[in-house]
Amino acid sequence: MILAGSSVEEVSSALVGLNAKREKISGFDVRAMRRVLEYTPEDMTVSVEAGSTLAQLQTRLAEHRQWLPIDPPRAETLTIGALLAANKSGPRRFGYGTIREHVLGIKVVLADGRVIKAGGKVVKNVAGYDLCKLFAGSHGTVGVIVEATFKVLPRSESELILQRSANKLDELAPLLGQITQTPLTPVVLDLHGTAAGHTLVLGFAGSREDVEWQRERAQTLGINEATTLSYNEVFWEPSEPPQTVSVLPSKVIDSIKSLDARSYVARAGNGVSYFRGGRSQSRPELALSLMRRIKETFDPKGVLPDMPW
Amino acid sequence: MPLLDSLREIVGADHVISKPEELLVYECDAYTLEKKLPTAVVLPGGTAEVQAVVRACARHNVPIIPRGAGTSLSGTVLAVTGGIMIALTRMNRIIDLDYANRRAFVEAGCVNAWVTNAVKGHGLFYAPDPSSQPACTIGGNIGTNSGGPHTLKYGVTTNHVLGLEMVLPDGEIVWLGTKPDGGEDVDGYDLRGLAIGSEGMFGIVTRVLLRLVRAPQAFKTMLGVFSTVDEASQTVSDIIEAGIVPGALEMMDQLITQAVEAAYQFGFPLDAGAVLIIELDGLAPGLERQAATVIEICRKNGAREVRLAKSDQERADLWKSRKRAFGAIGRLSPNFITQDGVVPRSKLPEMMRFIGECSRKYGLRIPNVFHAGDGNIHPLVLYDERDADQVRRALGASHDILEKCVELGGSVTGEHGIGVEKIDFMARQFSPDDLEAMRMLRRVFDPEGRCNPHKMFPGSKRCGDFALRKQAAA
Repeated sequence: MILAGSSVEEVSSALVGLNAKREKISGFDVRAMRRVLEYTPEDMTVSVEAGSTLAQLQTRLAEHRQWLPIDPPRAETLTIGALLAANKSGPRRFGYGTIREHVLGIKVVLADGRVIKAGGKVVKNVAGYDLCKLFAGSHGTVGVIVEATFKVLPRSESELILQRSANKLDELAPLLGQITQTPLTPVVLDLHGTAAGHTLVLGFAGSREDVEWQRERAQTLGINEATTLSYNEVFWEPSEPPQTVSVLPSKVIDSIKSLDARSYVARAGNGVSYFRGGRSQSRPELALSLMRRIKETFDPKGVLPDMPW
Repeated sequence: MPLLDSLREIVGADHVISKPEELLVYECDAYTLEKKLPTAVVLPGGTAEVQAVVRACARHNVPIIPRGAGTSLSGTVLAVTGGIMIALTRMNRIIDLDYANRRAFVEAGCVNAWVTNAVKGHGLFYAPDPSSQPACTIGGNIGTNSGGPHTLKYGVTTNHVLGLEMVLPDGEIVWLGTKPDGGEDVDGYDLRGLAIGSEGMFGIVTRVLLRLVRAPQAFKTMLGVFSTVDEASQTVSDIIEAGIVPGALEMMDQLITQAVEAAYQFGFPLDAGAVLIIELDGLAPGLERQAATVIEICRKNGAREVRLAKSDQERADLWKSRKRAFGAIGRLSPNFITQDGVVPRSKLPEMMRFIGECSRKYGLRIPNVFHAGDGNIHPLVLYDERDADQVRRALGASHDILEKCVELGGSVTGEHGIGVEKIDFMARQFSPDDLEAMRMLRRVFDPEGRCNPHKMFPGSKRCGDFALRKQAAA
């Protein structure tokens, strides 16, 4: 069953009931909780309920020329809770990282219905353990995220996305090394492609002067075709999630070749590839005994979804 | 076999310290109000030795306390009830530098500044830069999730550590997060993120994989001189409001400026109410216009003078003045408490006025040098430890300032940690359920509560001597 709640109290009392009956839920829906609770542009922080969509939040922040620097696909339907639960990111990951890097505080309903908060509302805070990190990326297995506070950034004055396409991946491969060894500071460094061809995408953000200077540099590398990031949305259109693999950035070309994928989008600067079709990849060994202990400690009656790993 | 003999067998007799006079170095960190000698200090040479030491201590049911350089400021590494201190200072090697992937693999005892020194020739740096960086260790930085002046733009330790090796209190060796030869995404809970900032209570960090960042192409470092703290605070807000995120935005008030000037003669005006160090960094082309905007904002807020560093030397001097500020305080007072609190940036003017009131109320001087861009204040409460009444007043002023931070929606620590110093504030900032969730997490890593015990949580044991003094102060 899906646990639906329209307030922290509702989610909490529902979990108290489920816990007593040891009844398992397969997921939760807090989309009815979608208020922006506190936004102080001057402090560059925002607190929001977990059911708001990322797009709603970005619209609100845009009124003050700010944004939460994260751009996963389908922001119109992606809730803040889901964004956090899967530690998502998008094409601008090379410049801004994943959502984990931007969380300052979190409010969570634990499996037994207790409501806790971790972190706080200020940009620097080391009081107590950093429990935000337990819930970000936890896929809802240890608690239901109901509120979160983020550090936001001013919107860049200027942004430019450029691409260069080739039939063979090897034609693009040398560019990766050249880009990372020049003073260029791209926020997007992606590769995407199909059997028909491959495209390298380079995105710059900053002041007009910075972006213009980088555009000229990119041109000397033969990367000069203006484009958009729409390839990313297109890739995520199918409802089934793509497979993923993460390697050292210096090994990303070899990694893509070995996938034999029907289509892929690679965060080349981070060494992370998403792909459809092709061979599934081996996953690194995890500290599973610790992870199981976490799950057992925070959800002793097994009410919340199982660990997916 | 007695524990000390086992330890000598594991690390060699030379690397076990147990004579009281030699243990004195380890009786406290840079928080000197509470002191206690550990039973012994062990200096292991590698992960395997750490594991053997930890196992021996587990067999004897003895507390273990990890320690780096001991520069922490909240008693994080105090041996409250004795126990074996595991000092990582011999494990200080840089194991591997991977420039192409911008990673450094180091032992936990590696000094923070060594990392940047080793990679700067390749246009890279390690971003977290606490003021103690010439001495503090990467392992210690992980314990307190250290920050520094440049965290406004670059983030803190948790944003720059990809993975780490830890010896759990039962002796199991685990790798948390990204592996040195692996991709940055790993499945499962963010155990690395949980370990960072856990104040050494989860296990002994032995090796660490760091993320390196491209060094900025250019800097514009400015010194703004203001008549009042209010003007300087307003300038900070206006810079952020203009959409500019400086690499660093630091404030020093009049008492600090005077002390720094007396010690190092940087040419600071002695009658200025506050100075700001504003550093913009990034690509060169855009910096000119940004710097012009910043200068304009300073002038608009009544800056008497804005100095722009014209050379690398001038920039280095400005930073030296900031980073040596704590040292210069020795000229003002025999003792001081370096406080650490955070308020939302927009509350800075209110907070600074409150600190001024505290100074008058308690009759103690409280100079300020801090990360204004982050709202992370560092009031330095000056006192003389030979005067019991001054100690009482210094603790009172510290207490009031931290209470105010919580009241204004902030935190009682931005980078120093809770340690033993701020235990009493945890219940102010967190609910009983919040604290229980933290205890649950601790039990996952350290079910016996034997690793760095009596820290962070209300109800922890205190050193007897301190308890008496606190009682007297009450």
